[in-house]
Amino acid sequence: MADVSLRNVSKAFGDTEAIKDLTLSISDGEFVVLLGPTGAGKTTLLRLVAGLERPDSGSIVIDGRDVTKLEPAWRDVAFVFQQYSLYPHLTVAENLAFPLRSPARKLTEDEIRMRVAEVAKLVRIDHKLGNKSTRLSGGEMQRVAIGRALVRKPAIYLMDEPLSSLDAKLRGDLRLELKRIQAELGATMLYVTHDQIEAMTMADRIGILAEGRLVQMGTPREIYTEPANLHVAARLGQPAINLLPADLIADAAAPTGTKTIGARTEHLTIRRAENGHAHGTVDWVEHLGDQNHLHLTVGNRKLVTLTDPDSLFKKGDRVTIQLRAPLYFDGAGNRIAG
Amino acid sequence: MQDLPSGKSVVTDTTTSILDRAAEAAVRATPGTLARRIRGLSDRMVAWIFIAPTIVLLLAINIFPLIWAIQLSFTNYRANRPNEPIKNIGLSNYSRILTDTDTWIAMQATAHFVFWTILLQTLIGFTLAYLIDRKFRGHAFWTTIILVPMMLSPAVVGNFWRFLYEPQIGLFTYIISFFTGIPPTDILMLSSVKLAPWAIIIVDTWMWTPYVMLICLAGLRSIPDYIYEAAEVDRASNWRQFWSITLPMALPFIMLAVLFRGIENFKMFDMVNLLTGGGPGSTTEVASITLKREAFEKWRTGFSSAFAIILFVAVFGLANIYVKVLNRVKSR
Repeated sequence: MADVSLRNVSKAFGDTEAIKDLTLSISDGEFVVLLGPTGAGKTTLLRLVAGLERPDSGSIVIDGRDVTKLEPAWRDVAFVFQQYSLYPHLTVAENLAFPLRSPARKLTEDEIRMRVAEVAKLVRIDHKLGNKSTRLSGGEMQRVAIGRALVRKPAIYLMDEPLSSLDAKLRGDLRLELKRIQAELGATMLYVTHDQIEAMTMADRIGILAEGRLVQMGTPREIYTEPANLHVAARLGQPAINLLPADLIADAAAPTGTKTIGARTEHLTIRRAENGHAHGTVDWVEHLGDQNHLHLTVGNRKLVTLTDPDSLFKKGDRVTIQLRAPLYFDGAGNRIAG
Repeated sequence: MQDLPSGKSVVTDTTTSILDRAAEAAVRATPGTLARRIRGLSDRMVAWIFIAPTIVLLLAINIFPLIWAIQLSFTNYRANRPNEPIKNIGLSNYSRILTDTDTWIAMQATAHFVFWTILLQTLIGFTLAYLIDRKFRGHAFWTTIILVPMMLSPAVVGNFWRFLYEPQIGLFTYIISFFTGIPPTDILMLSSVKLAPWAIIIVDTWMWTPYVMLICLAGLRSIPDYIYEAAEVDRASNWRQFWSITLPMALPFIMLAVLFRGIENFKMFDMVNLLTGGGPGSTTEVASITLKREAFEKWRTGFSSAFAIILFVAVFGLANIYVKVLNRVKSR
């Protein structure tokens, strides 16, 4: 394992600038998740670290060694692709052993067999070692792909949305497993996703990527409670944060210069209007089972928030809204620290 | 690749349902009086009426002659003596063919031709496809250039190469003699017993290697880039990537190309007929040339029918065994 850093890296494809002057460092044993929408440059960044793309400028350092001009084979990285990139005519065991059979590694057949068995157990595929890789379910294939990365002990594991093609249940299971495996191995990991739950649950630190730039980097807690700007705030929270003009609901605590107030569920207290004074009305209530989504209209704005499943709000109810320490943003969209 | 072989039954099912639906739509769209006239027919019946002309045509020009040929193969019928009584001679045509040394020589010539053309075309075709797939600058242009021979008519190709092979004026013989120093008049590509079979193999390879290349190229293009990228990160050398990814994944396509060329060359006629006509002697007399001689020079119609049936069964049988193997390779 090793630390990895990117210094002022830029990469363009024709006229599109995929990565713009990006600097990022990952410490030894750290799990860093890059979160961003499609086209933010997440995959490009990962491919730059792996050596599958070359940066136009800047440098990439792995374990104190400048690898910017090295081929992927000599960078000591492992890559898990979004697609199931298994070697289709090989068995699970042969797929897992593939990276170990490189002439650059001098391992005996016994050592290889032991490593494969060990990793197969880790990713829970040891019961299917003899199967052809095409005869597996999607979840199993991706487990083999992850196993093929884990079988080596590289400087860094690079994972490109490895769970995005799986169904929700499997995604949840593998998310936990990956975090467990990473903690067990003390692995340095750079993981790319557009799924905020994956980012929040697995990361030691989250990097928010937008249009090729690293907008904010911090622990999941920091990113959630102290987003640098509107963009970061909008990326996290379920349901998404409500962004309201500062004058929509009176809030005495708002610092001067506040243009937009960001209110998540925990920033809102909703009560049924009592003495004729109301801020808005309930549009409808979505019953999700364990909780309800409450859709409100306030002035010309729509709000979505969570309520308990046993709350008695119903369509047409008039309500009052109280803000509790929400997030404040200035005219440029940056958060005003309060 | 894996889902290719299972497609057959599904296709038939959808065809019927599509036909049913089309017939239904036709009934609905037909004006009142006509609709009343065909109301007695079921949708399936209407569908059959629609496809009947095609089926009749197929029966008339494919199935019927085949059955007739089978029938003739048991007789001593000669098409140039229509008035002679036709005698049923049982299996004696077949036994004569299978014990005749001449037909076995023809079969050997065919096997020699098929083996070497397939070997050369597959090797050169795959190599070309592999190089084109590197996507170098101008690869599309070179692909088109390479495909030109395949687009020509075999008759044209045959005549061209007859000139190229001319001992006095032929470009091919000139080039060979330039590099080897052998006087061009000694290079008798088409009339030397030793060289004539190779002359035909060279022309066929020249013409059909592009076809093999095209199929191999389709195979190579079907391998996703990320598999190679994964292998690169896994430190597999180019050599290892070729043997453990490229070749196994392109193999079903290569085998398909071999199948197509094999069937095609087993019944090769036009080019051989134009270049050597089977000569010198019978060195290049492949099976279809023998067949033509028996049928239309010696007019032994019954005998040649039997020979045609034997060839058909042989090709059909070999191709079926081959397809079984191919499917096994594909489902690996």
